[in-house]
Amino acid sequence: MRSDMSLPWWAWAAMGVGLVAFAAMVGVTIRRNRGIHRSLFASPYTLWMIIFTVVPVILIGYYAFTDANGAFTLDNFKNFWDSNFNANKSILAAGEAVGQDYSAYITRGTVNVDTLVYSLWMAFLCTVICLLLGYPAALIMADRKMKLGPTLVVLFIIPMWMNFLLRTIAWMSLLEDSGLINTFLKWLGFEGVQLMYNSEAVLLGMVYNFLPFMVFPIYTALSKMDFRLSEAAADLGCNSWQTLYKVTMPLSIPGIVSGITMVFMPSVTTFFIPRVLGGGNTMMFGDLIEAKFLTEGNWNVGSALSLIMMLLILVSLSILRKADPNGEGGGIA
Amino acid sequence: MTPEQLSERIALARTKDHLIDLIGITKEFDGTPVLRGIDLYIRKKEFVTLLGPSGCGKTTTLRIIGGFETATEGALLFEGQDIAALPPYKRRVNTVFQKYALFPHLNVYDNIAFGLKLKKLPKKVIDEKVEQMLELVNLKGYARRHVEALSGGQQQRVAIARSLVNEPEVLLLDEPLGALDLKLRKEMQLELKNMQQRLGITFIYVTHDQEEALTMSDTIVVMKDGTIQQIGDPKSIYDEPANAFVADFIGESNILRGTMVQDELVRFAGANFPCVDFGFGENAPVDVVIRPEDIMLVGEDVGQIVGTIKSVLFKGVHYEMMIDAGEYTFKVHSTTMQPQGSKVGLNIVPFNIHIMKPMEEVASNEI
Repeated sequence: MRSDMSLPWWAWAAMGVGLVAFAAMVGVTIRRNRGIHRSLFASPYTLWMIIFTVVPVILIGYYAFTDANGAFTLDNFKNFWDSNFNANKSILAAGEAVGQDYSAYITRGTVNVDTLVYSLWMAFLCTVICLLLGYPAALIMADRKMKLGPTLVVLFIIPMWMNFLLRTIAWMSLLEDSGLINTFLKWLGFEGVQLMYNSEAVLLGMVYNFLPFMVFPIYTALSKMDFRLSEAAADLGCNSWQTLYKVTMPLSIPGIVSGITMVFMPSVTTFFIPRVLGGGNTMMFGDLIEAKFLTEGNWNVGSALSLIMMLLILVSLSILRKADPNGEGGGIA
Repeated sequence: MTPEQLSERIALARTKDHLIDLIGITKEFDGTPVLRGIDLYIRKKEFVTLLGPSGCGKTTTLRIIGGFETATEGALLFEGQDIAALPPYKRRVNTVFQKYALFPHLNVYDNIAFGLKLKKLPKKVIDEKVEQMLELVNLKGYARRHVEALSGGQQQRVAIARSLVNEPEVLLLDEPLGALDLKLRKEMQLELKNMQQRLGITFIYVTHDQEEALTMSDTIVVMKDGTIQQIGDPKSIYDEPANAFVADFIGESNILRGTMVQDELVRFAGANFPCVDFGFGENAPVDVVIRPEDIMLVGEDVGQIVGTIKSVLFKGVHYEMMIDAGEYTFKVHSTTMQPQGSKVGLNIVPFNIHIMKPMEEVASNEI
């Protein structure tokens, strides 16, 4: 574990300056409006943001570009690209010490990059599956004639009342070798099946946890839609499929975009699910970051990985924003 | 109606030269009756208006013809064929929706071309037809505009063009002018009527505006509480309303309680008036309907009854006066003004007194 976690003096100074500036702004606002103005009600939230979002992001930036002694370095990012970077460095240093070239002994590691690619792929699969399952569900929920909307909304919300970890652990008792499904199969006379500890189980857990985030934005977009538009489409010659892809789908794009965003973002950063349902056979980028911080105690490399992830999310957000420029899907994208 | 009666009536309807037949149509929403037996036929190239207050079932009737609702009972024939089971996209009918229902993700051109593209017509033909339609509705040069950037009147025209471009046999219009201001509405009324005559398409038009109905229609169907009150051309509906409801709904009316003394003589407001109606029986209670413009103001000494002028309002072409006479207050339209408080004589020629069965009796017959 890293022994010295204390912040550099300037970090404390920056936080102090930030708080003083915040207090000054509140004071100026009161002064200028000669009393309480509406904007003042935003100040608790602003303070919260400064302490718990802005400062941590600055710190992540700080750690990502420094080494254990606080000196500026890019090694953390090199470490991302070559996961054996630190080990290789010490091998080369040892060689130098005895006047030999040990470069033949070093190998490049790709664990970090592989994990990132795997995470992106899993997130992509999860988003696609959620969309394929969620869109029809939202269509049924928004259908006035079926009148299933309120019931289905409740059914989708109830699992969300339960803690995310519990929900995931609950899947274990279904999938494990002595779990519900295998017990049932054996009772029927079949052999047990290995259901857990693979990518598919992880994917299942992810889809299960993130599906509501796809369904609700689409449901909102669909139920806001004027039902006369689909009647008009039918009137002009569309059968139900044509109505769906010529009118309903294009008009629900804001909901789709915001659903994709809300599923893809947490999917990329998923951790814990792979550990529980993947049993350590699979690792996602979130697990990797967690391991860097908590297991290895290497805050610097962990921060660099976090920054890379943030960058990726920002890029994907700006791409999605193009599809919904007015932020109609709730402005999340 | 029994199934035998229904099929008999369907067979009978098939022998006639009707475009659309509604036979004994009823409709219930969650057990609440909205239509209580609609019988109506529509001929080719006719301009039919369904007129009535909100909640009378006129829009539901239109939606049944359009295919957006199915009747609970009864038959819907199109050129003699039962089309009740046909989905909207297979009916030779197009609808102009109440709030236009233009596709917000498409521009004017794509909205109008929507139906044509579905028919997979060649691009050149589509271009030509859309251009013609834009010309017809006076929107040349608007093809690339975004529909939400158009004014209400322009959106209205796009909606009409979008339907007409498919060359439907029948155009259904659900209060299409409801959202427009008065002046624009009057212009569009004339334009629609012209279009209908030029294109020779059957129009079924829903409105609650009696003036609109009188201006545009060949046939007016007056509806109330899911039943048809009267079917007729505008003149006969105005001049010979079938009951007090129609009289009240179409134009302004004085509706009074009266007694039929004998044939061609009715008593109301404390005096006997000669009239042209007969067959109600002696001393039978009746409703008397008199249009405000049919009451003539004369000298106190020569009037059939005498009244006092309570109020005078200037209405542009005429003055509207409320006159107390007997136990009633008459509404009178006259081009000459009489001062408030003065006494006047009221004369009504026999032809302008409309005698009807009392309202309650009509109402109880319906149910």
